[in-house]
Amino acid sequence: MIEFEGLVKKFGERTVLKGIDLKISAGEIVFILGTSGTGKSVLLKTLVGLLRADAGRIRIGGIDVTDISEEDYLPIRRRCGMVFQHPALFDSLTVLENVAYGLMKHERLSLDQARPRAHECLEMVGLGGQDLESLETKLPTQISYGMQKRVSLARTVAVGPEVLLFDEPTTGLDPVTTKQINRLIQELSRKLKTTAIVVSHDMDCALEIADRIVVLDQGLIVAQGSVAEILRSTHPLVVDFLVEAKAREVTA
Amino acid sequence: MMGGRTLNLATGLLVKTLDFSSFAAQSWFAAVRPPFRLRDIVRQIHFIAVEGLWIIVLCVCAAAMVTILEASFHMRLLIQNDAMVPGFAAMLILRELGAVVMALLVTSRAGAGMAAEVASMKITEQIDALRMLGLEPIRFLVAPRLIAGIIAGATMSLIANCVCLIAAMGVSILKLGSTAGLFMSMSRPFVTGQDLCFAMIKGAAFGAVIPLFACYWGLRSRAGAEGVGLATTNAVVSTSIAIIIIDFILSYLFSYFY
Repeated sequence: MIEFEGLVKKFGERTVLKGIDLKISAGEIVFILGTSGTGKSVLLKTLVGLLRADAGRIRIGGIDVTDISEEDYLPIRRRCGMVFQHPALFDSLTVLENVAYGLMKHERLSLDQARPRAHECLEMVGLGGQDLESLETKLPTQISYGMQKRVSLARTVAVGPEVLLFDEPTTGLDPVTTKQINRLIQELSRKLKTTAIVVSHDMDCALEIADRIVVLDQGLIVAQGSVAEILRSTHPLVVDFLVEAKAREVTA
Repeated sequence: MMGGRTLNLATGLLVKTLDFSSFAAQSWFAAVRPPFRLRDIVRQIHFIAVEGLWIIVLCVCAAAMVTILEASFHMRLLIQNDAMVPGFAAMLILRELGAVVMALLVTSRAGAGMAAEVASMKITEQIDALRMLGLEPIRFLVAPRLIAGIIAGATMSLIANCVCLIAAMGVSILKLGSTAGLFMSMSRPFVTGQDLCFAMIKGAAFGAVIPLFACYWGLRSRAGAEGVGLATTNAVVSTSIAIIIIDFILSYLFSYFY
């Protein structure tokens, strides 16, 4: 269970999150939707301590993590894998080394010992098969952006997180790859029985795979509920998102 | 108006100094705490010392040759005798030139490279990815660079000083009509093995400062190409200033041993 209680985050004079109250149950897939600059990524980064809250409380699995030290946050972060907006792969390491990195550091495994698990994760994200051997020796810059996103996802699941966090995972991807990544998020969350929080502005995707949708505007939650509840919402921003999603569907 | 701006500048400088001091303390603590990341340390030593060695050798050679030629020219002009030049030059090289020129060159090459690398990692969220894997960026990025900087700094200072002395000897033989034996015997009253030790201590101190400033500015880089550029510039400028200040402090302290 993840719980935000009156969460406030400021950057200088600007208050980005203005008192967020949100509970996320274990195993849920929650989509946080909102326009750009509304505080979605900030909410995610505050959850894992990459940014610190100015007021309010955050609880993960019943543990209050709001004011814990950076050192105490390390084991908590290991339980929460995060896929960033950028693939954020370590560009001096090969694909295999990137995926195996967390295992090598935490389990004190050699690259050869970590290889089977890394292969398993690469296969899980659809990068297995015959090309795996040539792929694993490539540097991130030598593979496509879509593949980098998948490798990033493989690296995240390799350490066995209980919570998966996705910060705009489909930004910059073509519609086909976007669909594949969205399906992957759903499959992985179900298969690994993890809680997933997806920050996005893609209503199509949210309607397709979310258990619950939370809509954020100007640092506040303006609507939340199941897909059916969101479809019935009359909030102007939600309606805008739904109209835009419908228009895209018609165009497609 | 002016007073307010001065106060703001002073406050900003104080805040940055305190922030850097805290960062440096954390880095030293991480560097001395096992386990040591040997592979990364070796890779960084290769980057700092081995890859840039030819540039250092070339530049310190040139600096040493200019020093001895200029000293000779002015001694001849003033007292019509340049017999003492090898001794003075050897002293100047060992006490100042070798380590400082080496450190400034390493700053412009390895320091700038490190700052740009860390800043790029910061803006592409690689640092956040490290933290999400439960790894401390200071321990995993800064500590190996700090250890490598100290080892590379001391070693390169030794090499730079030896090369400087050989270059100075070469110029003395070719241009001043000296011999290798004469150069050595003229240098002996001025320099001792202690000078070489002090030069290595200076090299190690400069070698520590370079990665500290590079990583500090890199980790605090703002987004975008401009942010990376600014981080690199700040790293080179602050490291260069720090090297000059540390050189003065160490030279002052060493003067008690001469």
